[in-house]
Amino acid sequence: MESLSDIHWDVVISGTGLQQSLLALALSRSGKKILHIDSNDFYGGTEASLGLQDAASWVSRIEAGGGGGLLKSAAIWRPEDSTGLAASRQYYLALAPQVVHARSRLLEQLVSSRAYRQVEFLAVGSSYVFKPASEPTQPAALVRIPSTREEVFSTTAVSTKEKRLLMKFLKFVLDHDSSPQQETWHPYAEKPLSALLSEAFNMGEELQKLIYTLTLSLNPGINTKDGLAVIRRHISSMGVYGPGFAAIYPKWGGLSEIAQVSCRACAVGGGVYMLGTGIQSTEVVEGGVKLELTSGDAIRTRLLVRASEDAASGMPVIRRLVAVTNSSFDSLFEPAVEGAPRPAVAIIAYPAGSLSTAAGKASEHPVYLSAHSSETGECPAGQSVLYLTTNASPDAQELLGRALDAFLDAAKPSAQQEVRVLTKLEYEQGSGGSSVLITQGPILTFQATTPSIAFSDSVLDPIRSAWKKILGDEAVDDEYLTFSDREGAADDDDDVYEQ
Amino acid sequence: MADSAPKPSSSVKLVLLGEAAVGKSSLVLRFVSNDFQENKEPTIGAAFLTQKCNLPTRTIKFEIWDTAGQERFASLAPMYYRNAQAALVVYDLTKPTSLIKAKHWVAELQRQASPGIVIALVGNKLDLTNDGAAGGGAAGAGACDDDDAAAAAGEDAAGDARKITTEEAKEYADEEGLLFFETSAKTGYNVTEVFTAIANAIPETSLKTNRGPGAAHGARHEQPGIDLGRQDDGASRDNCAC
Ligand SMILES: Nc1nc2c(ncn2[C@@H]2O[C@H](COP(=O)(O)OP(=O)(O)O)[C@@H](O)[C@H]2O)c(=O)[nH]1
Ligand SMILES: [Mg+2]
Repeated sequence: MESLSDIHWDVVISGTGLQQSLLALALSRSGKKILHIDSNDFYGGTEASLGLQDAASWVSRIEAGGGGGLLKSAAIWRPEDSTGLAASRQYYLALAPQVVHARSRLLEQLVSSRAYRQVEFLAVGSSYVFKPASEPTQPAALVRIPSTREEVFSTTAVSTKEKRLLMKFLKFVLDHDSSPQQETWHPYAEKPLSALLSEAFNMGEELQKLIYTLTLSLNPGINTKDGLAVIRRHISSMGVYGPGFAAIYPKWGGLSEIAQVSCRACAVGGGVYMLGTGIQSTEVVEGGVKLELTSGDAIRTRLLVRASEDAASGMPVIRRLVAVTNSSFDSLFEPAVEGAPRPAVAIIAYPAGSLSTAAGKASEHPVYLSAHSSETGECPAGQSVLYLTTNASPDAQELLGRALDAFLDAAKPSAQQEVRVLTKLEYEQGSGGSSVLITQGPILTFQATTPSIAFSDSVLDPIRSAWKKILGDEAVDDEYLTFSDREGAADDDDDVYEQ
Repeated sequence: MADSAPKPSSSVKLVLLGEAAVGKSSLVLRFVSNDFQENKEPTIGAAFLTQKCNLPTRTIKFEIWDTAGQERFASLAPMYYRNAQAALVVYDLTKPTSLIKAKHWVAELQRQASPGIVIALVGNKLDLTNDGAAGGGAAGAGACDDDDAAAAAGEDAAGDARKITTEEAKEYADEEGLLFFETSAKTGYNVTEVFTAIANAIPETSLKTNRGPGAAHGARHEQPGIDLGRQDDGASRDNCAC
């Protein structure tokens, strides 16, 4: 076999995070000589999914300073009595548990590139709002958010008057770009969404909370322009791939699976893959870059693509808590309408102010909890994985813990059942400056993406820029990520082995 | 038999595993196209290859996934073998380290793959051993007309390159409950037999009827899966087009 240094590579891609992997997919039929490496011994980078042991070594590496500037304050916890926890490899804890809306360009691209056939997608079910206990008689509850006409009609969560307001608003959102509707919201475009809801729609605080939750935004002050856009994405995604759900989730650890499938597609096209191999040194030379790999190989490439491991200051930093529990919380995963597939993911929103610290300080940011059933493949049957996210702050760790406890209490299947947390993983994750691709001579750098609850299409733009840069004149815009099937079907019937 | 009702047909995802250069891609090429390329890495260039195997009561349509070279630097992704219903774990009879690697893959499959997975341990390059020549007869090649089989006869004098005895590998395969074959992708010896034996060993319960290409993937979890290929354009009634 040819050694790596004998080849003059067209492009070396460093890291197998979602962006680098989708780039590899985009280049998979280009005939370019591609070397794709990752210093981790698993695929996915900050979008990976990890077994328990992998997660423990991931934490140690971050604590030893190996998280770049992006990841910090990582810890993993197991109770002394770890009964109930299955073998490490039975878990796939997702570092990027984002749901993907049906109208996302990511799904369009996975379909046009035929990569979707190798991924199993699951429905994301209802969203709920956490309603804290009020007075001793009213325990905390999870209120299901109605987001289709049927659900609005049938919900008991809001009054008849509120139903009318809600209907009016949902209709407005779908049509919010038409000129009469623009007149309604343009004065509010840069103001908080709450201003539009209370002033133009006369909504009370409770109803506003329901609507705010549809944005899945971590920013409590999201403005009207952005807020309407994401609510519209949600509502127009409803029913696209089947009744009763707006978003989907890739089985076996979310975006990690899309990264793996994309890398395999590039390998099938001739790309060479090396995990556990990073870049030791980089030198820009005439016609490209000279690289020394941690494997000891010295190679030359025309272009190098990598991802920044730095967090930009002033950009969002999230805190996440991942908890595996011994309960399956079946009632959370009921299909929203008849004939809908059984959802594997449910999202619970804790609006700002609905949680408080032991010292009595109210939460200033929303918290989201994504509950994943064992159908996601992320845990064994009978268990569930809960992903809690909020903006990093000195209180964030405590508030996530409170949100978890409150959930376990409110969603507990019965008073008798003891719901236990079997293991917990927590960390902080920063984000880069913007989604623009940075080009310095032959080196292209993706900036770290902002971790969000729902996948944002802005992640996709720099991938396309990199693809254009690499292919130059050969790039045909209409053919970006558009491929025919690549199944080498043998001439079916005349070529059958008889026993 | 001409009037018999069509037999049920099922897709089975079969993956190849084993050290680089043991002959995995060559075995697929032999099985699917009855071809062999000397001293050359066969280019598969496909997400997977399909080949039907006709059994007396049913037809198995193998979707054969090759490693796409990702085993070379230990970079196979879990998604590759996770949903496999069958696996060919291949070693090179003339290379002791390759059996160690094969055992590693068997252990990995037992941990990570579907519980009912059928695993065949395959010692390849039998033509390089003394008994390889004897085994190279066309009779061994099943239904395929094997013109190349005779070529092996010429290697009698070349000496025996075998480093792994049949007994050693067979004993291990029995312990682990694996099917076991020694093959030559070069002559075609025993190649069809491996696939037929796998087809026969797939439990009826893990089969489902065909839904077209890609159907074998995740066969067990049909219920909650969403098919992105089937976008529901008339879906707007469900949109809140109030
Ligand atoms: N003599 C002999 N050579 C083989 C046999 N099978 C494969 N080879 C050769 O071994 C090398 C590696 O084969 P390949 O199919 O690429 O192995 P892979 O890396 O496991 O896919 C090639 O040069 C093949 O020609 C066999 O049965 N006998
Ligand atoms: Mg090969």
